[in-house]
Amino acid sequence: MGFEPTIVGFLCNWCSYTGADLAGTARIKHRPNLRVIRVMCSGRVDPTFVVKAFASGADGVLICGCHPGDCHYLEGNYKTLRRFELLKRLMLAYGIDERRLRLDWVSASEGERFARLVDEMTEKIQPLGPFELGPAFQNGTDLGLVEGITPTPEVSHG
Amino acid sequence: MKDKCRIGVYICNCGTNIARVVDCEQVCQEVGTLPGVAVARAYKYMCSNPGQEMIIHDIKEQMLDRVVVAACSPRMHEPTFRKALEASGLNPFMLEMANIREQCSWVHDDPQSATRKAIDLTHAAIRRVQLHEPLEKQEAPYTPTTLVLGGGIAGLTVAMELAEAGQQVILVEREDRLGGNVGRVDLTAPYLDSARDILTEKIVRAEASPRVEVLLNTRLTELKGFVGNFTATVEDDTGLAGDRAVGGVVVCTGYRPFDAGRIGSLGYGRLPDVITSFELEQQLRTGKLKTRDGKTPRYVSIVHCVGSRNARYHTYCSRVCCMTALKYGHEIKSAIPEAMITDVYVDMLSFGKGGEDLYRRTSELKTMFLMYEKEDYPKVRSAEPEDDCGMLLQVREKLSGVTIDVPADMIVLMVGMEARHDGDEVARVVGISQDAEGWFIESHPKLAPVSTPTDGVFIAGACQSPKDIPDTVAQARAASAMILAYIAQGKVEVDARFAEVDEDRCSGCRMCNELCPYTAIIYDDETGRSAVQSALCKACGTCVAACPSGAIKARHFTDEQIIEQIEGVLAWGSNQPS
Repeated sequence: MGFEPTIVGFLCNWCSYTGADLAGTARIKHRPNLRVIRVMCSGRVDPTFVVKAFASGADGVLICGCHPGDCHYLEGNYKTLRRFELLKRLMLAYGIDERRLRLDWVSASEGERFARLVDEMTEKIQPLGPFELGPAFQNGTDLGLVEGITPTPEVSHG
Repeated sequence: MKDKCRIGVYICNCGTNIARVVDCEQVCQEVGTLPGVAVARAYKYMCSNPGQEMIIHDIKEQMLDRVVVAACSPRMHEPTFRKALEASGLNPFMLEMANIREQCSWVHDDPQSATRKAIDLTHAAIRRVQLHEPLEKQEAPYTPTTLVLGGGIAGLTVAMELAEAGQQVILVEREDRLGGNVGRVDLTAPYLDSARDILTEKIVRAEASPRVEVLLNTRLTELKGFVGNFTATVEDDTGLAGDRAVGGVVVCTGYRPFDAGRIGSLGYGRLPDVITSFELEQQLRTGKLKTRDGKTPRYVSIVHCVGSRNARYHTYCSRVCCMTALKYGHEIKSAIPEAMITDVYVDMLSFGKGGEDLYRRTSELKTMFLMYEKEDYPKVRSAEPEDDCGMLLQVREKLSGVTIDVPADMIVLMVGMEARHDGDEVARVVGISQDAEGWFIESHPKLAPVSTPTDGVFIAGACQSPKDIPDTVAQARAASAMILAYIAQGKVEVDARFAEVDEDRCSGCRMCNELCPYTAIIYDDETGRSAVQSALCKACGTCVAACPSGAIKARHFTDEQIIEQIEGVLAWGSNQPS
């Protein structure tokens, strides 16, 4: 049997979580690798959560929000988008393969889209194998916490 | 605090819905030994009375202070279980649900991996609930004035239901008249009673009612606040805007007819005697059933499913066209007894009360019925001078396989229903969602058919999906009942999940002030700190994620709670030897 990654998903309550529920109601089968954490808005996803997920053993992280222009909170997903670009750059700097981190949009009516997204992401991560913390990741940040992810001189082990 | 927790964990079988795939007993055993878990049980139906009583009993007997229910989506039964907690004296926020049905047993086939996932999700819920804090209920008054958006049959029904219950209504209509699409119809199916009769009475009463303020040529441009306490900004065609305080909103914006010109082979816009069903209604209303050059048509063809049940246009059935087409059989025959009528259809969907009877009665009029394959629209062309008709309708008849030229002087296209072009604007302003076709989405198709995710905002009629007049009126009255329930309470429970700023940690950078979509965060010049106005906060948590000092807390979605959950879903994997 091949490697089965564990992916942590942060889904906004109004669109994506509802879309994931719809996949259920419509019995649209998909890969069992995603572990969903519900947040009210994708804008709530603190970059720390993503770092924390990788540090705790996730092989991938998926963030889903409402489609741009369709946010229940007017514009939370734009904030997510802006923040995500920065986060992604940071993750790449830490040596995380970009296929392990994804931001996408799923509306409340897109059960099918959600299911395909989970399948696609699982299949992309599978060949990468389990995520292992690189040295940069281990030394660069204090991962316990909510304090922030910017490496500070105090925690530098150089 | 954590080691003092006494958590009750309940794994629902949901009959066989969950238990068919997830081994609920195994979940129960594995999570039963986790720190803080006082009792873990699997049961057939947790939402049933005995299921809820089990929780209530355990809370009292086993001195539980927290509860985890692994069952359906929290969007389904979180309110149910919160009430159970309340009934036993526990704060309702001491509950956490794990979604092991919609997001697990219903979408996975392999029992082993589904059970693994269910354990992970339940584990995460157990970790999270340990950090839950009791949140006090907040109440706000409910303004008994209702904003009704759309003056068609749905909006008029809501307005009159509420007005007759003694309540104030603001009826906003974008067009210059009330009545909507029903106002463009002659008779209604299946009983052939007049649409005018149904509508006029409502319009006259609405216009005369001191409780209904009718605003024509007007749009809703902004809706601020929350259930019971909205401020609606309405703007008329001249740009004149005004604010109204309303408690609830009922969206009744209806539909628009499909544009028949999109299907070239049917000849609409190219041949003058190809008309839409609405154009025929107009002729029937004025009593002048004529071709474009003033002749009485001898051959009338009616094409069903124009824009409906077709992969290229809309895949759904518009629900009213078959019945309306059957109705035309009667109306045309009564105007022109010698007319030959042909119905060209895909399937005859004359469902519901009186529908089949109408089909029989129309068949008895010697109407001809020809079936076509749904992706294979008939083709319309002008007739030759030697033909004794104006046009020929070429149909590949499905049952016989024979291609037939049907003579026609008039061709009526049964145009389907389509979501309105301005639906996205309405959805954005009132904070509701649309499906892929543009129809507004209800909270639950069976359990909450007129509610939306935005409390205090309801939908009724054809803005939700194509529907006939009886279904529209039923929904309108259902929405009225929801509004009257709020008014009877006189107050609303406000979400206790708002954001709070810890003054000691706030650096006064004001980053959150800019981020908040509701301008709910105000900077205080004197203290040099920001503060959240809880009534305006909608708990999205965007400010929480952005605060560089970690000074903002999202109640019930705190950083610590979410991090526990992250660790919880991953706990099993990290315990495995690598």
